[in-house]
Amino acid sequence: MIFDWVAFFEYLPRLIRAAGVTLQVSLLSLGLACLLAPLLALARLLGPKPLRAVAQGMIEVIRGLPPLVIIAFAYFALPKVGVVLSGFWCGVLALGVVGAVYAAEIIRSAIESLGRGQLEAALALGFARWRAVLEILLPQALRRILPPLTNEFANLIKASSLLSVISVHEISQVGQSLIFETFVVIEILVQMAILYLIIIGSVTILSRRLERGLGA
Amino acid sequence: MGQVLVRLLPPLGLTMVLSITALALATPLGLALGALRAELSDRHPAARAIDAWVFFVRGTPILIQIFAIYFLLPKLGLQPQLFVMGVGALVLNSAGYQIEIGRAAVQSVPKGQWEAALALGFDRRATLRQFILPQAARRMVGPVMNELSQLIKASSVLSVITLFELHKAAEAISSANLRFSEVIVVEGFLYFVFIFGISLIASALERRLSASGALEGAGSFAR
Repeated sequence: MIFDWVAFFEYLPRLIRAAGVTLQVSLLSLGLACLLAPLLALARLLGPKPLRAVAQGMIEVIRGLPPLVIIAFAYFALPKVGVVLSGFWCGVLALGVVGAVYAAEIIRSAIESLGRGQLEAALALGFARWRAVLEILLPQALRRILPPLTNEFANLIKASSLLSVISVHEISQVGQSLIFETFVVIEILVQMAILYLIIIGSVTILSRRLERGLGA
Repeated sequence: MGQVLVRLLPPLGLTMVLSITALALATPLGLALGALRAELSDRHPAARAIDAWVFFVRGTPILIQIFAIYFLLPKLGLQPQLFVMGVGALVLNSAGYQIEIGRAAVQSVPKGQWEAALALGFDRRATLRQFILPQAARRMVGPVMNELSQLIKASSVLSVITLFELHKAAEAISSANLRFSEVIVVEGFLYFVFIFGISLIASALERRLSASGALEGAGSFAR
C-alpha cells in the first residue's frame, strides 16, 4: 500500500470541482431552510389549532425519517404528481425541507427557553401576541439560535453526500465513480475526506466563533 | 400495499439488528473512551488519538466512513461479510459521537463533587468510579437512546454497499414494480413508527431523569 502522489494530483481537480457542487447544493438548501424554518416555527407556536397540528405533524414525520428516504421521495415520487425537477434541484428541495424542520425545532426551543415571563410581561404591557413574539421574543432568541444553526449547516453539508444516489455530481458521487473507474482507492478516499474536513471544519470553526461572540 | 409491507418486514428486521448491534458495541466503547478523554490532558497521546477519531467522524459524512471500510478493508487483505462491514461502519461512526456524549456527561458533573470526594480522602480513581461516573451515567441515558434512532436513520446509508436493509429493499422492490410512491410511503411508515416510538421512550426516560439534569439529546439529521 504505497500512496501514489501522481494519481492524487491527477484526480484532485475533478474532486475540487465536485466540492464546488457540494457547496452550491448546501448553500442553496440552507437558504431554503432559512426561509421555511421561521414559518414552520411560528406556525407551530402561534398558528390556529389546525395549522399548528399540520406544522407539528410535518416536523415529527420528517424528523422520524432518514434523509435518504426524503431524497428518494423527491426524486421518484414527485414526478408522479407532475413535479419534475433535475437531480440537483431535487436535492436542494429535499435537503432544504429536512434542514428547515430541524431548524424550526431549534427556533422553537430557543423561544421557549426564554421562559414565560418575557411573553407575559409583553402581553401585560398591551402587545398583541404576534407582536410580542416577533418584537420581544425573536430578537432575544436569535443569539441562542445562531450557534446551533451553524451546526445544522454542517449537517446539511454531510447530508449532501447522500445526493450521490440521485447522481448529483458532488464530492461523494464523483469520488465513487472515480474509484470504480480507476481502482485508485486510497488516494481518492483521502481526497474526499480532506475536502469534507476542510468544508465542515470551517463551518465548525465559524460556529464556535459565533458561540463565543454572542456569549450564548 | 399490504404485499409491499409484508416484503419489507424482513429487511426492517435487518435494519433493527444492524442498529441495535452497532449500538451495543459502540455505546460501551464510546462512553468509556469519552470518560477516559475527560480525565486525560489534551497533550496525552491517547487523548490525541481519541480527538482524531472524533474529528474524522464528525467532519466527514457517514457515507465516506462506509466507503472507507468498504474499500480499505479489502486492500488490507480482509474480506469480512457485508453485515460485519455495515456494523463496523456504524460503530466507527456512533462511537465517535458517543465519545463526546461520555466526555460531556463526565465534565458536566459539578466540580464540587470532585473536591468533596478528594477532601474525604478518596483518590482520583475511586472518586471517578464511585462518585462521578454514577452521576454522569444518568445524564447519558437520554443521548444514548437518541443515538439509537440516529443509528436507524444512518443505517439507511448502508444501502450504497448493497446491504439489504430496509432502504435497499425498498429501492429494489420499487425499481421492479415501478410503484415508487407506494413503496416509499410504506418504507417511510416503517421507519417513522420505529424512530418515533424510540424517541417517545427516550423523552419519557429523559423526563424521569431531568430532575438530575440530564443532557438534552437534540438529535440531527445527518451523520
